[in-house]
Amino acid sequence: MKNALSIYWKYCFLLISLLITTEAVSQNKPSEKKPEIKELDEVLISNNAVQKNKKEESLNVETVNNSFIQRNLGGSLMQSLQKLPGVKTISIGSGGSKPLIRGLSFNQVIVVENGLKHEGQQWGADHGLEIDQYAVNRVEIIKGPSSFIYGSDAVGGAINIKPLPLPLQNTFGGSVDLTGKSNNAQLGSSINLFGRNKNWFFDSRVTTMDYGDYRVPTDVVHVYSYAVPLYKNHLRNTAGKELDFHLSTGYSGEHLKSVFYFSNVHTKSGFFANAHGLEPRNVDLELHDKSSRDILMPYQQVNHLKVSNTTSFRLGNHAFETQIGFQNNFRREYSHYVNHGYMPPIYPEDMYAPQDLERQYDKDVWSFSAKDEFRIQNHQITVGSNVVFQQNEIGGWSFLIPSFTQFNAGLFAYDKIELNEKWFLNGAVRYDYGKIKMKSYYDWFQSPVSENNQTELEYLQRSQDLTKTFDSFTWSIGANYNPGKLSLKANLGSSFRMPIAKELASNGVNYHYFRFEKGNPNLDAERSYQLDLGMEWKAQNFSFQLTPFVNYFPNFIYLNPTSAHDIYYGAGNQVFEYEQSKVFRYGAEFQTRYYFLKSLSAEIGAEYLYSEQKSGSKKGYTLPFSPPPSVLFGLNYEPQIPFLKEPYFSVDYRFTAQQNNIVPPEKKTAESHVFNVAFGSKVKTGKQDISINIQIQNLFNTRYLNHTSFYRLIELPEAGRNIIVSMKIPFSVSR
Amino acid sequence: MKQLKLLMAILALTFISSCSSDKAEIDTEYPVIDITGTNAFPIQCNTIERGKTFTFKATFNDNVALGSYSLDIHHNFDHHTHSTEVTTCEMEAVKSPVKPMLFINNYTIPNGVKTYEATAQITVPADVDPGDYHFMIRLTDKEGWQTLKGLSIKIL
Repeated sequence: MKNALSIYWKYCFLLISLLITTEAVSQNKPSEKKPEIKELDEVLISNNAVQKNKKEESLNVETVNNSFIQRNLGGSLMQSLQKLPGVKTISIGSGGSKPLIRGLSFNQVIVVENGLKHEGQQWGADHGLEIDQYAVNRVEIIKGPSSFIYGSDAVGGAINIKPLPLPLQNTFGGSVDLTGKSNNAQLGSSINLFGRNKNWFFDSRVTTMDYGDYRVPTDVVHVYSYAVPLYKNHLRNTAGKELDFHLSTGYSGEHLKSVFYFSNVHTKSGFFANAHGLEPRNVDLELHDKSSRDILMPYQQVNHLKVSNTTSFRLGNHAFETQIGFQNNFRREYSHYVNHGYMPPIYPEDMYAPQDLERQYDKDVWSFSAKDEFRIQNHQITVGSNVVFQQNEIGGWSFLIPSFTQFNAGLFAYDKIELNEKWFLNGAVRYDYGKIKMKSYYDWFQSPVSENNQTELEYLQRSQDLTKTFDSFTWSIGANYNPGKLSLKANLGSSFRMPIAKELASNGVNYHYFRFEKGNPNLDAERSYQLDLGMEWKAQNFSFQLTPFVNYFPNFIYLNPTSAHDIYYGAGNQVFEYEQSKVFRYGAEFQTRYYFLKSLSAEIGAEYLYSEQKSGSKKGYTLPFSPPPSVLFGLNYEPQIPFLKEPYFSVDYRFTAQQNNIVPPEKKTAESHVFNVAFGSKVKTGKQDISINIQIQNLFNTRYLNHTSFYRLIELPEAGRNIIVSMKIPFSVSR
Repeated sequence: MKQLKLLMAILALTFISSCSSDKAEIDTEYPVIDITGTNAFPIQCNTIERGKTFTFKATFNDNVALGSYSLDIHHNFDHHTHSTEVTTCEMEAVKSPVKPMLFINNYTIPNGVKTYEATAQITVPADVDPGDYHFMIRLTDKEGWQTLKGLSIKIL
């Protein structure tokens, strides 16, 4: 423990010295450097709009656009955003990831696309976010509780993917995106076509992606204590593919705007073959290692369909917006039948599910929302409500969570008061009601049950008919003060999250982690209280931003590893049971950028997070998936070169500290040092500029583990060196 | 610039004050399954006989307090598993199960014990399929840390 304490102080020292450095840097005389106006593809959005938003909103909001995504392109949207301090991912191999904001993920972080809350199967660590990153133009990341905007689930934060900007009047054009990656031999392409006459427009996109097994800088990995040899450094069966369609179309006039959105995201991706089921497994190496591009068992196949309409219109002083949406998430997980518990050794012929269909989830979500925004003197008031209904069906031979239906409704009012040019106040209240109805489920096979020395065979009940209702009142207050170059903000808010079916009623095996997971029908709605502060300094050649927060949960829902084992369905595996505990968390993110010359700048981004359970069976422990402290040092060179537009060359070094603050069944993760290089430019060709971006991730092919990766528990290292080349070729056809 | 310096000072203070620690000691050690003792049974590549009862024996250790353990015997006719042990055993050819032995049970360990000599009587029915089996020992400590041991055995 003494050792842990000294390491703890080491970080404190690191943070303090970081501050001193920035102070020293800040004393340099400013040179002449104007912040550049960023050019988006079809529209110009000046940095000012984003800056204005930042100065008026008391929550901590980061906004990035598609050129940021292009420069930092990862295998999936969240992987492309993880350069932002406080934003991490739970990666599932090379093509999927989940958002992790300040250490919270799953159902505690919501994703909103075109105003519609994305509803997939967020509860699973292996379930990636079904979003096509090529279709993303602008993303707002709210690092803090935003329940008052989005209702249940947004306790940890929100990823808000903004609608695409409308094409300009009387245009017809498009673009082609091409991406290649060396590590997993990935080829990706995305074709966009858009057009508009005066008022009617369309914007469409087709994205395809195909990738092989990803490679790691080692030829043997240890899954728990089982040694698994790797063929040519390939993580067996982590290949995948994706095919996405998007179409938005509608009318935009002076008083009325109505847009229909349609998208379908389809992915198929393999799981690391040696770690799935009830124990680490031997696999047919000859079959698996024949090709690094085939997707064999176990694998997942997910289809996410979204259809929605957003209509906005003005009536006098009022701006109304309505939204109707439908989503279907259809998820299937395939694996060879492995009998466990007292399932028959040979799969019965007359079963209701195909032999290889381990699990299936089919979710339909209907939603409706309306809001009205209006001004009364210096008050900008928004009132609104939303109603969501969802239906969830399960399939496959294996059971984890029951079928259920859910209804949610919320009502909110939000007031932004402009006291004067420097002071803004924000206040919000919201009421939510939710009802979840779970269906009973019986095993399809019999298990021997002993009672009074008699053993009988029974179909065991896994889940019961159960209806739970929750309601909650949440609030938020905040203030902004912007005296010139400095801006300060503070926000205090409460948020809530309704327990999900997985937490209330799961009763089955997690095949990835070899554990038996058990729900708890007595859970209360999770509540959270958070104080957020923000300080920003923006001068011509120097900027910094510090965003500390303190957070308290009186009843955090936590999957607690118990000392018990399940002897039926769990086949002797360890039982993990949902419990609630008090949790205290605090942390901060820090970002600074300094321009030595107009063309040369340095940046530092750091983050720190501390979580502790203050009650319950794991009192004194942290929370799972706690990101360790990390600092990113970057150097950016943007010279003036004839024929090139906005050329850049950047080197990043990320130091991630060791994570010794763990909770069962996690393992301590060693520190890592990873270097990335990126360069690129736009090339002037006629009216349009072709942009080319090249990245070398993990430059030195370093073998390291990422504490928050889905594969961390089974000790799979992160991808080795990866050269990523991406190109965007826009074209326009005048009418 | 003055304003900035003041701010920096406030920041530095915030960080320093947040760096005070009063952390209680937590257990981060896994329990240990010890089958190196002379009377430990079964160990890797051992054989057991149908229609007879054998005694499982192993020594468990933990730095704070042991939790519980489970034993699981299932067939390995399809060669799906490898063991946690270094030595490999000679395997029969792959075959289909007809009536494979299936044994799953959990066992308690007295509260607050750091070292425990585990023994359990297991009866192998006379009519089960002979062949390659897998013998799994799963041991937890009180805090929920778990250690696995997977052994390859044969039923004759």
